[in-house]
Amino acid sequence: MADHKIKRFSTYRIAEHWVHMAIFIVLVVTGLSQKFYYLDISLWLIFHLGGIDYVRLIHRYTGIIFLIAISMHVITGIAGIAFRRWKPTMVINKKDFIDAVYNIKYYLGMEDHPAICDRYSYRQKFEYWGVLIGSIIMVFSGLILWFPVFVTRFLPGEVIPAAKVLHTNQALLIFVIIALWHIYNSIFSPEIFPIDKSIFTGSISRDRMLREHPVELARMEGRPIDEMQ
Amino acid sequence: MLSKNTHTGIIVALLLLIFAASPAEPQSSALSDEAQKCLSCHSQHGLVKTFENRDTLEAYVDSEKFKASAHGSLKCSDCHVDFAGEKHPQRRFRSKEQYKTKSAMTCRKCHRCEQIKTKSIHSRLLSEEDSGISHLCTNCHGSHSIKPVSRKTFKNEEQYCLKCHGHKLNMGFKSGENLSLKIDLSLLQNSVHKRLSCSDCHFGFSNSQHPQRNFKGMRDLSIANSETCRRCHFDKYTKTMESIHYTMLSQGNLNAPVCTDCHGSHSILHFGKERTIIAQRCRKCHTGIFEVYSESVHGKALFDEHNQDVPVCIDCHTAHDIKNPLTLDYREKIPDMCSNCHANEAVVRKYGLSTDVVKTYLSDFHGVTLSFYRKQREEFNKPARQIAVCTDCHGTHNIVSTRSTDPATVKTNLARRCQQCHKDAAKNFPDTWLSHYEPTLANAPLVFIVTMIYKIFTPVMVIGIILQILLHIWRYAVNR
Repeated sequence: MADHKIKRFSTYRIAEHWVHMAIFIVLVVTGLSQKFYYLDISLWLIFHLGGIDYVRLIHRYTGIIFLIAISMHVITGIAGIAFRRWKPTMVINKKDFIDAVYNIKYYLGMEDHPAICDRYSYRQKFEYWGVLIGSIIMVFSGLILWFPVFVTRFLPGEVIPAAKVLHTNQALLIFVIIALWHIYNSIFSPEIFPIDKSIFTGSISRDRMLREHPVELARMEGRPIDEMQ
Repeated sequence: MLSKNTHTGIIVALLLLIFAASPAEPQSSALSDEAQKCLSCHSQHGLVKTFENRDTLEAYVDSEKFKASAHGSLKCSDCHVDFAGEKHPQRRFRSKEQYKTKSAMTCRKCHRCEQIKTKSIHSRLLSEEDSGISHLCTNCHGSHSIKPVSRKTFKNEEQYCLKCHGHKLNMGFKSGENLSLKIDLSLLQNSVHKRLSCSDCHFGFSNSQHPQRNFKGMRDLSIANSETCRRCHFDKYTKTMESIHYTMLSQGNLNAPVCTDCHGSHSILHFGKERTIIAQRCRKCHTGIFEVYSESVHGKALFDEHNQDVPVCIDCHTAHDIKNPLTLDYREKIPDMCSNCHANEAVVRKYGLSTDVVKTYLSDFHGVTLSFYRKQREEFNKPARQIAVCTDCHGTHNIVSTRSTDPATVKTNLARRCQQCHKDAAKNFPDTWLSHYEPTLANAPLVFIVTMIYKIFTPVMVIGIILQILLHIWRYAVNR
C-alpha cells in the first residue's frame, strides 16, 4: 500500500498551473527587465525581444491574459464552493496559525512531530493567498499604469506614481515568494527533491499524504486521525 | 713664367682697384644744392599752408628722412615743378585733398603708367581710375620719405601691407559691391593672431606677390578667405564639416556662416573670456531666437547679472559641429545637455537648485523610455518615437524659472503640454508627475507610504522565508 497513488488534482487544475506558470515567466522576464532597466542582462533581454516597445506590448497583453486567468480562478473557486463541488479547503482558519507556531516549535526541537495538516498545509495556504492577493494588486496597478489618462479623470494624479511603486514593489515581492518559497518547497526541499510532480501528474503517493496531509488522508480512508500510519 | 714680384704686384693692383671702386660714403648723403636751400626754411616747424576750406597742412619736411629716401638726391623742383630757385609762387587750393591729388600727379612724370602697371596691385588701382576712383601714389608710398619698395624697407610684413591697407582702399566686385580693404592696426594688435604675418592667412600674397583675384561678390571672397583658417585649425575645420551650417553652404546657401562670420577676421578674440559675445555672434543671423533667449532665465542672468555659469548658444548647440536641432538624434541628447549643469553640484548648488532633476527624469517612465530608444537606435538603428525630454516641459530658448511663476500657472501650462501627447489628459494629469521631487510624506503621501511599506515588508518576508527554509533543512538533517 506504500506506493499507492492518490488523486490530488483535477486536469483543470493541472492545466491552470501550466497556464499560470507560463504567464508568470513571461511577466517576470518582461517586467523585471523593465524594473532593473540599467542592468546589462535587462538590456540584452529587451533588445533581443525586439526593443522596449515590444517588451511593453508583450507585458501588457500577457497581463490581460493574466487578468482572465485570475478571474477564472476566482470565479471557479467561488462557484465550486457555492455549488458544493468542493470544500473551502484553501480558507485560512485558526488552526493554520496554531499549526504555524507548532511547526516552528517542531523545527526547533520542542515538539516531536510536525503539525498535522489537512488538504493544504498552513504554508501552502499562506503562499496561495499571498500570491493571489499580490496578483490582484498587480493586475489593478498594471491597468492603472496602462491607462493613466483615463484613471486620472476620476482619481487624483498621485495615484499613478503610487501605482508605479506598488506595481514594481509587489512584483519583486511575488517574484521572491515564488523564486524562494515555492521553488524550494516544490523542487529543493529535501523531502521531495528532485521535484514534486503532483501538480503535473495530478496524483500523490500515500506516503507523502500521510506525512504532509494526514487529516485529509484520514477523512478519505474513513479512519480516525490517531490510527493513521 | 712670372716672377714672385710680379705676383705681388698684381695682387696689390687688384686690391687697390677694389678699394677705389667702393664709395667712401652712401650716396644718399648727397643733398642737392637746391634741396639744401629749400630745407633751410622747410626743415623747421611752423610753416603752415591754409586752404580755402580752412584745412591746414604744415609745409615741413624732415630733412633726415628725405635724405634717406629714394628721392634723396633729387632736386625739390623735380617734383614741385612750379617752384625753382627764387621762384616761390603763391598758389590757391580748395582743400588739402585737391592739393594732394595735384601733387601726386607729378609722380607719373617719371613712373609711367605702362611701367607701373606691371605690378598687379597697380594695374587694378589704375583700372579703377577709369571709373573715377582716384588713388594717390603718395597714399601708399609717402611723399618726402619715399622709399624703394623692397624687403629691407619695412620692419615686418605687416608694415609692408599696411603701407597701402592702412589707407582708404576699396575692392570692387562684379556684383557692384564695394569692400573697404583698410585694416585698423589697433584691431590687429588686439587680436589673438597678433604674432602672425599677413601672408600666414592671406596665402599667396607676399612682398613680391599680390595676385589679382576675381570674385562675384563680397560673400564669395569671405567664403574663400575663411578656407585659410583650416591650415592651422584643422580639427575645428573638420568639425564644421559635420555642421548644419556647412551642409547649407555646400547646398549653395552662401549666407551660411563660415569661420570669419563668427570669429571675425582681423579682430579675432578669445571667446572664453566673454560669453556674451558668443550669443551676440549667433544673433547676427538668429535674431528672433536671440530675443527669446535674452528674456529666458538663462539669458537674463547672462545679460543682466553677467553670470558666466549660464549656458550660451554653443553650450547646447556646440560651436563647430552644430547639428540640426530638429532631428531625433539631437533631441535624444537634450537631457545630457541639461545635465551638464543641472546634474553638476558645483554649478547649480549656489542657486539653490537640486541635482535630483536629472536623476528623477531618467528613472521615470519618459527617461527610461528615452534611454532605451537611444540605445536601440545606436545599436540596432531602430526607429523611435519622440519622447518627452526636458525642453518639452521647460521650453528651449524661452526657459523661465518655475519659482518666478505662480504654481497654478505652471500646472496649467504643464497640463497643456501633457495634452500634446496624452490627448485627453485631464487638468490634474500633471500631478501624475512628482515634479522632480523624491516622494516625501508631505508632497506625495500615498507614494511615500506605499514605498515605505514595501521597504519594510519585502526584507521581512525574504528573511522569514529564508529562516523557514533553513529551519526546515536543519530539522530534516537532525531527523536523519
